[in-house]
Amino acid sequence: MTSRLKRKLNDLGVDPSSSKANENFCLIGTPLPPLEKSRDTGEFVPLWKQEVRDEKGRRRLHGAFTGGFSAGYFNSVGSKEGWTPSTFMSSRGDRAKKKEVRPEDFMDEEDLAELRESRQLIDENEEMDLGGTEAELRRRAGAGTEEDSMASAVAASLAPPSQDSVGARILRKMGWRLGQGIGPRITYEQRNKQDRQAGISKTEDENDEEAKKHMYPRRDTPLLLVSRKDNSHGLGYTPGLSLSESLGGRGGGEQRGPHLSAGFGLGALNDADEDDLDIYDGALGSRGPKTRIVAYDATEDEDQITMGSSSRRRQDTRTPAQPQTTQAFNDGRPVLKGFILSERPVQEDGWFPIPEVPPEWKPNPRRVWEAGADKENRPMAKDKEREAYQTHEEWKRSQLSADERGSMLGETPLPAQQRSIFDLMSQKDRERLESIRNNITAGKPSTPEPDRSASSSSHLPGEIDMPHVHPSVAKAALQGFQPFTADPAKQSRYTAFLNYAADSSDGAQLGFGPLPSQRVEDFNKEIADYAKAATVFKPLSGAMASRFKSAAIVEMGPKTVEGLHTPDVSAPETPPEEEEKEEDPRMAAVRMGMFGPLTRELSPWQPARLLCKRFGVKPPEVEADADTPEHAASTPGTGAGAPADTGMAAPPPPMITDGAAGVAPASTESQGPRNLANVGLGEDEDQGRDTLTYQRPAMDVFKAIFASDEEDSDEEEDATDLQQPAPSTDLLASTSTQQDAPRHLLAAGSTQVPHEPKTSALPVSEEPEKVDLTTFKPMFVPRGEREARKDKDKTKDKKKKKAAPLVSFDAEDEGLQIDVSAAKRRDKHKSKDKGKEREKDEDGERKKKRKRKGAEDGEDDSMWIEKPPPEVAQSLPVDDVPSEPPLEVDTESVAGLQRGRKRAIDFM
Amino acid sequence: MAGPTREPTALARTLHTTLSNHKGPVHVARYAKGSAKYILTGGQDRTVRLWNPTLGTEIKVFAAHGYEVLSITVAHDNSRFASAGGDRSVFLWDVSTGATIRRIAGHMGKINAVEFNDDASVVASGSYDSTVRLWDLRSPNRQPIQILEEARDAIQALWVGNGTIMAGSVDGHVRTYDLRMGQLRSDFIGPPVTSVVPTQDGQSYLVTTLDSHVRLMDVATGKMLNDYKGHKVEGYRCRSCFGHGEASVICGDENGMVWAWDLLEGAPLPPNPPPKVHGGVVLWVEHHPIEDGEMISSAADGTVKVWRHPSSST
Repeated sequence: MTSRLKRKLNDLGVDPSSSKANENFCLIGTPLPPLEKSRDTGEFVPLWKQEVRDEKGRRRLHGAFTGGFSAGYFNSVGSKEGWTPSTFMSSRGDRAKKKEVRPEDFMDEEDLAELRESRQLIDENEEMDLGGTEAELRRRAGAGTEEDSMASAVAASLAPPSQDSVGARILRKMGWRLGQGIGPRITYEQRNKQDRQAGISKTEDENDEEAKKHMYPRRDTPLLLVSRKDNSHGLGYTPGLSLSESLGGRGGGEQRGPHLSAGFGLGALNDADEDDLDIYDGALGSRGPKTRIVAYDATEDEDQITMGSSSRRRQDTRTPAQPQTTQAFNDGRPVLKGFILSERPVQEDGWFPIPEVPPEWKPNPRRVWEAGADKENRPMAKDKEREAYQTHEEWKRSQLSADERGSMLGETPLPAQQRSIFDLMSQKDRERLESIRNNITAGKPSTPEPDRSASSSSHLPGEIDMPHVHPSVAKAALQGFQPFTADPAKQSRYTAFLNYAADSSDGAQLGFGPLPSQRVEDFNKEIADYAKAATVFKPLSGAMASRFKSAAIVEMGPKTVEGLHTPDVSAPETPPEEEEKEEDPRMAAVRMGMFGPLTRELSPWQPARLLCKRFGVKPPEVEADADTPEHAASTPGTGAGAPADTGMAAPPPPMITDGAAGVAPASTESQGPRNLANVGLGEDEDQGRDTLTYQRPAMDVFKAIFASDEEDSDEEEDATDLQQPAPSTDLLASTSTQQDAPRHLLAAGSTQVPHEPKTSALPVSEEPEKVDLTTFKPMFVPRGEREARKDKDKTKDKKKKKAAPLVSFDAEDEGLQIDVSAAKRRDKHKSKDKGKEREKDEDGERKKKRKRKGAEDGEDDSMWIEKPPPEVAQSLPVDDVPSEPPLEVDTESVAGLQRGRKRAIDFM
Repeated sequence: MAGPTREPTALARTLHTTLSNHKGPVHVARYAKGSAKYILTGGQDRTVRLWNPTLGTEIKVFAAHGYEVLSITVAHDNSRFASAGGDRSVFLWDVSTGATIRRIAGHMGKINAVEFNDDASVVASGSYDSTVRLWDLRSPNRQPIQILEEARDAIQALWVGNGTIMAGSVDGHVRTYDLRMGQLRSDFIGPPVTSVVPTQDGQSYLVTTLDSHVRLMDVATGKMLNDYKGHKVEGYRCRSCFGHGEASVICGDENGMVWAWDLLEGAPLPPNPPPKVHGGVVLWVEHHPIEDGEMISSAADGTVKVWRHPSSST
């Protein structure tokens, strides 16, 4: 703004500092986008961003972790984290204050609203009001009194149309009006007749000609409403009525006031209630206008509702209450009050004399039973018989079809022709079907299809119907339970049937036919029964069958005689038929006393190994069936029994070798059947076997360890002196041989006491010549021994017993090490005759090899625990030897003792 | 063979003592092993009683059974015995303390017969459930060493010898399980078998069946060597045994008589018929294993009678 302009403006009288004067209309640059994005409701929001809010703007559908549906801190739940658990407060003190907790207490307003809504009773379907109901009448009456007709008409037109049912509306359209009966109009006479039938007698008799000229609507049928019985009085009893009253009698007494039942007073202010009235007072009936009403009048007058105008109705219902005139019997005596003469004579029961029983007649109930023996099988009558064998198709055929009925009635048939499925098929298909049918009929023109009788249940009454039983089922049933053992004849027929069914494929013939006295139908039923029995009584299969054992002797139950038993003296006692069936050749042999090969059966039997052991018998080799379960059962038994059996003749060393030998073939065979005992072991069947068959080392092993007295140590020293001519230093340096060393040691050590570990076994290894077991010994002194030695060195004067537990603890931990050490010591002892043993046992060698393999497989790490010590030993000399001058060292025992001493010193 | 001669000696028929403390039938009466100075009896009254037959005194009552005692077997060293019955378990007793060492359960039905093997390391039990179970007494294993399930009906008699187990069953078979050969020989006798007693040499065995026959069968061939009849055994488990020196066969019968036959001849020894000595069915007879003139019989009248020759008054 220039100064000139300012001046000008001043002249004009405009304040240049005002906002108006300073208004800027220039727009320079593009405007920044608005800070908040404008809400675009139609904008696409990804699903995870979408929010659901209720009508109050509260967020619904929180995530499952933030409270789920409509919950959470911001809606209704107490805290941000969710539900706050209420701390327990004893309500013991204020039990009186405790109020019952209602479900509403836990509802939020939505739920409460919902609840309120659900409580509202809405009658949505209004009753059809035909004007006859009380409500309608009341409404109409009210309308009539208060408003004039014009106003009501206007109101009716303005008001919504009355809620009529569809039926009522239709009726209305057809000319029906309220209060009329339904049906075509009738003449005056007809109407009168109808009235008379309904018991309505017309009071005003206007038999003018005019009335007869018109047709009248029918009388409305009164609607009978039965009132609910909500009291405990007897049926038909009206409370408050005396007996005579309810009978319609009239007493003559003119007593004022209610007649109260005797013994009850009535207070001055009280009105006589109906309960106070003496209901047994006969005089009561006459009093009061209300009580005069006859029982049925009293009830029905109130509740009888007719579909008609109220005035008419009242008139109608009043009329039938005609007082009954007194009646008299034929002989002139009057009928008792309350009774009426029956119009129909009473029917008397006729009594007839019992027919004469002929003097020679004897009761024989059996005749009756036999006559009705198969009553259920026999059709009752001729026509029933036809019906009994009528299948559904026949029944359907017997019925007339719609067309037939139509033709009988003379209707013109419907134009649509009958369509068959062939019409829908192509020509080619039709031809194919036709050819197939021709082939079938040509193939077997005369023979009836065998399957038809088997499968289909419909058959002609006179032909034998053979039910189909699958051969396998029949075969099984032959071996299974025999249901008809009580009736041998039936049983044989059953068996024959099963045999027939079992090889029905071969076209076998049923070995029997209907009995001479048996009709075909009965026979068919019998056969069907057999078929059913076969399926029912076929033996159980598989695992279930193995749980049951069938009895050797089938008990033939005594034949029960039905009904009353009348001892018949005339009939001689028929001896039971000799059942010399020769059912068993063995039994025959027994009867003849021919015991021997006939009665003897030989079969292989595998006794359990433990049993043989207990009996001191060598287990036999039964090759027939060495079934696995027995083996499985016996092996743990031997395992358990073996250690306890030290007292037996069988010495332990063979046991051990046995165990070792037992492992070997198992590993080589390993194709035995899988069972529970060896499942889960993978391919290696003797996996973990050595842990199971762990033997406590022999006593001298322990002696060798624990009885480490002076003499022992002396011996040891001697031994080491003897055994270690070679300098161990170069051995320590050669690490490659170190790797092999433990194996050899192990191999030597793991073979137990009976087999002295031989250094001669070593040639088996990779570098047989180089490795000398004796040289490695110092490196693999077991920890326990080391400890012991240390102790010994430290406190020579200490008791040996003190060292023993230390050792034993170690020994328990690492049993294998003990073996190693033991073996070593043994070795030391026996090293003199080393060469002698070298050629001795080759199998021991093999065993060792196997052991070693096992050790490599399974217990490598346990073996290699021993590895560090050599390294320590290796490092020790390096550190210590120069720093400390060797103490009084035996120059001969270079490595082992030296190292031992050093370590002992070191640790002190 | 214990006796040098096969000449049958007359049965001891003089009543020495009557042991009548049992209430109800006495199902079993057995001599102790060794010199057989004592008798063990078991009866319906659920007790096992130890007797001195010479004095006729009752030494001990072993009462732990909850049901009747049907069978007793004595260990070779007389230190233990086993009994069984309706409890469906075998009770192993210590004789001196009178307490049960073990109760071996496993059978499904009542046990009709128990038998130790020679060194009492195995006890065999035959049951109504038609199995014979062999229990190891050396190990605390609760499972039987083996179950012999070949029988198709209740086992009534058992014999465990050296390397053989014999089981007589109601199905009419005597099954011999030969451990050495690994073989089962089942001999069909016919009627239900109530007792099986082999000879000492194991060459033949005595079978009592419910058709009132006692048969001597050959083990090797299964042939019948002899048949003893005259008595009546039709419904009860009556046991037969060999007389002294296996020269005679003794069997009690249901009329309360004790029969004796010449083993070879098969004819009843006099008196024929024998006198009725028991008031009920003679359920068990057992001859003294060593003594010539002593035998015992137990019967359903609740008594056990000790018979001796009048001469042997010891």
